[in-house]
Amino acid sequence: MKKILLLAFLFLSVSIVAQKYYTKTGKTQFKASVEAFEPVEATNNSTTAIINTASGEIASLLFVKAFNFRVALMQEHFNENYMDASKYPKATFKGTVVGFNLSEISDTKKYILNGKLTVKGIEKEIETFALFSKKEDKLLMQASFEVQTSDFKIKIPKIVRNKIAGTITISLAYEFIEKK
Amino acid sequence: MNLSKKNKLVIIIVLVITFGVSAIYAYAMQAPAKIESKKADFIGTSDQLLIKILEDPAAWQDKIVVISGKVTSLDDKGILLSASIYCQLKDTTVLKKINPTNDISLKGRIIGYDDLLEELKLDQCIIQ
Repeated sequence: MKKILLLAFLFLSVSIVAQKYYTKTGKTQFKASVEAFEPVEATNNSTTAIINTASGEIASLLFVKAFNFRVALMQEHFNENYMDASKYPKATFKGTVVGFNLSEISDTKKYILNGKLTVKGIEKEIETFALFSKKEDKLLMQASFEVQTSDFKIKIPKIVRNKIAGTITISLAYEFIEKK
Repeated sequence: MNLSKKNKLVIIIVLVITFGVSAIYAYAMQAPAKIESKKADFIGTSDQLLIKILEDPAAWQDKIVVISGKVTSLDDKGILLSASIYCQLKDTTVLKKINPTNDISLKGRIIGYDDLLEELKLDQCIIQ
């Protein structure tokens, strides 16, 4: 009996491990551009994200300094003045894909994604839609949502206020692979 | 062509302003520095780096390092070194040339310690 239990437990733990998908190189992009001015946007291609395909729980983490801008000076201001990246190097998201079911994803399936975004040590509740699809053995996820600079106490100096939008659009594109 | 003194002065002033403005613009709009031209803050093996990182992780953010170590695995964007340093490549076409059984040396930028996967992360990596 004990042996059977042990075997069952082993089998169970294997299946639990296999229920995670992850990426180390997820793409996170933000845009705070105002029309007619130099675009204020950057991409982070090194976002880590893990999704538990059994429960729909998702966690992601990115390093603020890994956002790539086209203009060096903009990147410097972003890290030093707006994001205080030395003090708060990470931004994280922890949440749930509501009703996630891996087996029903084939083409594109839309789910509600909600959770907590933490930037500069400040938490904010996010609710948005996430689109899931499958490509070969990869699980793809796309989502976008908006936040305000004031949500995270990001002060924009008067002199550039008309060049940086107060509403920031954040978009995610993750290509998860199965964790073995 | 015979220009009066006043006209010459005007032309010179216009030229100086044009050059000045374009120099300021070029400075302000510079692209971020390339990894190839940056000086390394650390040169050594991946294990030596890990010891230093664990001592004081915050001090190593954004630092340029040249490390050598054993390839644990490859994915389509980068290399996992010594089972605990993930190096995201600047140019993924070099992946085809990597022999996973050999040791490898690469230059990259530390972006931070990823506590979700418990790996140190580097980006912009180039094979040395």
